Amino acid sequence: MSESHQRNAAARVWLRREQKTGWRPVRPVLICGVAGVVLAIAQAFCAATVLALALGASADTVAPSPTAPLIGFALAGLGRVVLSWLAERSAFQAGSSARRRLRSDVFTRLLHAGPSMLRARHTGDLTAIVVDRIEALDGLFARWLPAAALAVIGPLLVLIAVCAVDRIAALVLLGCGLAVPVAMACAGIGAAAAARDQFHAMARLQARFLDRMRGIATLVLLGRTDSEALALGAAADDLRQRTMRVLRVAFLSSVALDLAAAVALVTLAIRYGSALADGALTQPAMALFVLLLTPEFFAPLRGFAAAYQDKLHATGAAEALADVPPMPEPAPALTVRTVEARGVTVAFTDVRLTWDASRGPALDGLTFKVAAGETLVLAGPSGAGKSSAIEILLGFVRPDSGQVTINGADITDLVPQALSRLTAWIGQRPVLFAGTIRDNIRFARPEATDLEVEAAADSARVTRFTHSLPAGLDTQVGEGGYGLSGGQAQRVAIARAYLKNAPLLLLDEPTAHLDPATETEVLDSLRRLAIGRTVILASHSAAAHGFAGRRLDIRDGRALQARGVA
Amino acid sequence: MIRDLFRVVGLWRARAAWLIAGLLIALGALAAGIGMMAVTGLAMASAIVAGALAPFAMLRALGVARVGLRYAERLVTHGAMFRALSDVRVWFFRRIAGSSAGGLGFRKAGDLLARLVADVEALDGFYLRVLIPLATVVLLLPAVIGLIMVNAIGLGLIVGALLIVAAILLPLIAARATAAAGDRLARATGGLRVAALDALTGLREVRAFAAEGRMIAAVQTREAALLTAQHAVASRSALAGAASMLCAQAALLAILIAAGANPGGAVIAAFLSVAAFEAVGGLSRAGALAGHAAAAARRVFEAADAPTPVPDPVRPATLPAGSALRFEGVRFRWQAERPLVFNGLTLDIPPGARIALLGPSGAGKSSLAALALKVAAPEQGTISIAAVDIATLSAADTRARIGWLSQATHLFDDTIRANLLLARPEATEAELWGALEAASIAEVVRALPDGLNTWVGEGGARFSGGQARRLALARTLLTQAPILILDEPCAGLDADTERAFLTTLNTVAEGRTVVLIAHRLTGVERLDRIFRLSNGRAVAAAG
Repeated sequence: MSESHQRNAAARVWLRREQKTGWRPVRPVLICGVAGVVLAIAQAFCAATVLALALGASADTVAPSPTAPLIGFALAGLGRVVLSWLAERSAFQAGSSARRRLRSDVFTRLLHAGPSMLRARHTGDLTAIVVDRIEALDGLFARWLPAAALAVIGPLLVLIAVCAVDRIAALVLLGCGLAVPVAMACAGIGAAAAARDQFHAMARLQARFLDRMRGIATLVLLGRTDSEALALGAAADDLRQRTMRVLRVAFLSSVALDLAAAVALVTLAIRYGSALADGALTQPAMALFVLLLTPEFFAPLRGFAAAYQDKLHATGAAEALADVPPMPEPAPALTVRTVEARGVTVAFTDVRLTWDASRGPALDGLTFKVAAGETLVLAGPSGAGKSSAIEILLGFVRPDSGQVTINGADITDLVPQALSRLTAWIGQRPVLFAGTIRDNIRFARPEATDLEVEAAADSARVTRFTHSLPAGLDTQVGEGGYGLSGGQAQRVAIARAYLKNAPLLLLDEPTAHLDPATETEVLDSLRRLAIGRTVILASHSAAAHGFAGRRLDIRDGRALQARGVA
Repeated sequence: MIRDLFRVVGLWRARAAWLIAGLLIALGALAAGIGMMAVTGLAMASAIVAGALAPFAMLRALGVARVGLRYAERLVTHGAMFRALSDVRVWFFRRIAGSSAGGLGFRKAGDLLARLVADVEALDGFYLRVLIPLATVVLLLPAVIGLIMVNAIGLGLIVGALLIVAAILLPLIAARATAAAGDRLARATGGLRVAALDALTGLREVRAFAAEGRMIAAVQTREAALLTAQHAVASRSALAGAASMLCAQAALLAILIAAGANPGGAVIAAFLSVAAFEAVGGLSRAGALAGHAAAAARRVFEAADAPTPVPDPVRPATLPAGSALRFEGVRFRWQAERPLVFNGLTLDIPPGARIALLGPSGAGKSSLAALALKVAAPEQGTISIAAVDIATLSAADTRARIGWLSQATHLFDDTIRANLLLARPEATEAELWGALEAASIAEVVRALPDGLNTWVGEGGARFSGGQARRLALARTLLTQAPILILDEPCAGLDADTERAFLTTLNTVAEGRTVVLIAHRLTGVERLDRIFRLSNGRAVAAAG
């Protein structure tokens, strides 16, 4: 409960700050809006004059030429058209510049928060933040901010104009106008929560669908298409209900407005109608002026009510953005250590790490040391903590306690870029992106020449299988390496490591999915890659035997005992 | 463009009652609104000209009806729309599933997600902002024009012409002008989602290779494309809106000019045209949206219409009991330009047999399973189950006989229990634990505080590679299929666990056919036959 309160508070602070910084581009929208209201008042005046003259003419049989007010009406009308067009354009600019800024900001924060986030949240959910949440913020800047300001200024201007001709009419309008924000505030109680629920439902639906798409073959082959379609339908239905809950509130605020506008119009019509019928009203132009201005009084309020759901969505988005960890403070210059690239030594001292408190520690006082140019094989059953040790060295996660040093420098003092320069990594499940094999290898070092990429592909034995493909290295692979076997994908990952050419090589079960013949080949190329580098190899398999190196057995996050050459 | 949109409307058939109800209420709301303005105009005109008292009671009734109907309209039309859209989403999922027994292939999950989320959502504008206002305006326009003409013929003609321009002509022009931009917009939205998802899925790679800057640049490039497309649509939509507003202003000007000659008619015309132009005002913008909706519809159908790799026969044969699996003279390749995987493969797997298939990677071990599961079809030769050619069977029947653990078997972002139940929804607690025992993972699960209700994470990310593999294995063992094809069940397992699993497998799958696909054997497997795949054939090996 207090956590959600905290998040709400953080979101409110964020929203307030954003509304302040987002104001500058919104200003032209507001200026156009205010000018539009002024012109509308002028138009109402011109129209009322013309109509009154025309109506009076039939009584007095005098027909004065209405040319001047007609021209005034036409010019003001033209001006309003141009202003509304300009307002729309500047609103788009305001919205898009805010989105551009916020999207880069949140995406950068997500990338810097790093892979440890993936343990708690689904990529579909995170993508919804980067794409949909930010899109939802458009309305805050493009519509809500200008509408909220115009909803005060616009009606006030109209009120002043009306007050000049009829104070009582101005009072009627004021009363009806004030009822609108009050009604909206009443309707809006709990609406922010509904908006948040709606977005969560949408993110859930997205994550679910994405997950099911990735495992679609598994579902289809298990014959679960129908039940999954039903579940998806239920999730979509849940989204509908939550969306409707938000919309009901937003629509209610429009009802309040419609009602207020209708009450004002009918009251004024009755007032002037009976006055005219009694002959008490001698100036029909005044009545017409007020009646024509009534819709203009409510138009800015209508915009305000329409933008109300934008505000609701922005509040939800603000909470989601507040959830994303902030960028780390830029480290003071003193602690950024440059580490000599050649001859990397690594030391773990009593390192502890717990991913999930309910499941016990992954590392429980792990201590070891790897000298420069040495190969250390971390051996142990799956779940022993081998991967966790490697993830610390990759900077994916920080140890809870203990110290990890690279060339004597504490790993937590290193900026991610420096750490990344030092390490090359081949994981259990390398992610291949949709694209060519060449692009996937070049991912390791985008500035590499074709020759260097080909040399790396050759060393990792990628060319062994690509030369039989018609497009060679330019063969397209699908997401997750579709079109390649597990062993082939692994070799692409090894080629990345070759291309990167870093002094510290971290290998996490690099031959887990390979057949013996390929394994021999890959180990062979890994051994060559390992020459002159510091290597930490996590493995449970016989692969360890293929690597000349010191072996360290790990069980339950602790080193068992150090043995000699494996 | 029109055809895709009509096809969308066809998908909404099941919600026709809701959608039509929404339309009728919208019609009522608009009629009440215009009626209110007409009566006000009439009242004012008669009051000013003749000094008569206006029909206030009627005005009040119309006002209340207007407000109530407007609220109902919004609720009903939006509710109807969201129902229809969730139907489209389910339909889309089924279609994708129909063509994806072999996985997504070169299609991207993020792109399909974009189509399911953003493109389907773009369709809501088609009903709410195009169909509804267009239908109501077309039905009410003649009445409005008629009412004005009764009082002032010339004025009626001018205002009517301007109304038709704003309601029909401008939206058409706007739709035409934004068709290309709408298409770009739909694609750019998808592109942004794919770029963001790519970076977040590969977050480990991104961090390890310090690719953050590149990924941010990629997202910014896609975003720039999106903003450009949105800008194109928005500026055309703004122009269309301005043009529509210009029509309204011109109509009012005409009314004012005519006021001198016919003040009563002018007052009525003024109130009526204010209401009518308010109703048509959104249509020009809607026209600008229609291009986007059409492009979105096209993208939805493009993905949904992917061909089923092995279509079911029109009248599938019934599959008799039995589990004899036989390949005869099978010739197969994945793509015409790829080399042959099988060339004259013949393999007989009698019911209850335990066989091993060995061979280096690329020898076609996984292709064999794909053929048996009707994920792909052979060029030549037949595959039969219980002596029935599977080409004559439905894919569902065939797949119900075979449990497959593939290299790509996916763990869903759900609980362990839900993942297991996918294989057998009615499985009891004891059966779940039995399968976990057999896969040598029960001990790990039992040690978890939430046990079977532990969330496995995305792709099983909360478990180590070997543990995730064993959970998938437990799920496969849980299927009631009489034939089990296990593709490298021990990949990623340490030597002790591998031996333990293979030993249990000897007894667990008693009575079921087991096809073990492996690089090598450990020696503890109890096998009837061992085959080696080479040169596109299966050769019996010593065993």
